[in-house]
Amino acid sequence: MAVNGFWRRLTRLDRIIVMLLFALCILLFIAVGMRPPGRSVRVTAEGATLFTAPLERDRTAELTGPLGTTRMEIRDGKVRIVSSPCPYKVCIGMGDISHAGEIIACVPNRLLVQILGDEAEGKGPGYDLLSR
Amino acid sequence: MTSSAVDPLRLEAERRRIFLALFSALAIALHTLEFLLPSPTPWFRLGIANILAVVALFLFGGRAAWSVNMTRIVVASLFLGTFLSPRFFLSLSGGILATAAMTASRRLAGEGIGPVGVSVLGAAGHVIGQMLCAWLLLVRHDGIWLLLPLFMLLGVAAGLVNGLAAGFLLDVLRKSPPFAVGGNDE
Repeated sequence: MAVNGFWRRLTRLDRIIVMLLFALCILLFIAVGMRPPGRSVRVTAEGATLFTAPLERDRTAELTGPLGTTRMEIRDGKVRIVSSPCPYKVCIGMGDISHAGEIIACVPNRLLVQILGDEAEGKGPGYDLLSR
Repeated sequence: MTSSAVDPLRLEAERRRIFLALFSALAIALHTLEFLLPSPTPWFRLGIANILAVVALFLFGGRAAWSVNMTRIVVASLFLGTFLSPRFFLSLSGGILATAAMTASRRLAGEGIGPVGVSVLGAAGHVIGQMLCAWLLLVRHDGIWLLLPLFMLLGVAAGLVNGLAAGFLLDVLRKSPPFAVGGNDE
């Protein structure tokens, strides 16, 4: 009932616009989900490459930053941070990444985990929000 | 009242000016209030202050909407201490694109578009403006475009809520004499 009342307040053009924008959102979600999967993972610290590995083989890696050891796991073509010495564990909370161009940044421990696609080297510089 | 002695056009212009000042003041208050409220995430806000710009657009036209939004963004940033900080530029670029989308849609569609359509388009413009600003000035990483679908969905939902609120406010305002549709001077 209430939904009906709200709906009646819109003009026809309003309804079309709202529907189109929600459709656009769904398309954008699909477009993001369909990007090609990444080929390999690269970990950099202060611009220097610490570690690279292909995504096909499951393994874990221990990465050392200024705070201590961050453990990263590769499983089923996805990369996630398993444990980290940083205070807020944002990098663990970023979940897993698998598409080319995706990143996990552990700012306190100065680590940047990037997924690389077919074009091997990522195009953009590896800045994160805090390093600018 | 001796309003008969006053030029009605001038009276109308003065009334408009005073209401625009009140709208801007209220928008600044809402903007500041929203900043103070706890938010589940630092980057998601409803943008309730934009309700006032939508109302100004429908009552007084596109230039009024521009002045309410631009005044709000600059003055509220002075209150919050974010003037000329990255946050200010995010707010400004979002505000410019949002207001441009709102005024353009109103000009193109005229009476066919209601407050909800305008507000939702404004929200989409705001999201795109902020993403562009973040991409060009702050992050410089193509990865941030991956966040666009999520931001767009939240923005459109917020725009829908704001548009409904603006619609209710317009209904109430149009019942009061100063904003009566058509004859604005009783």
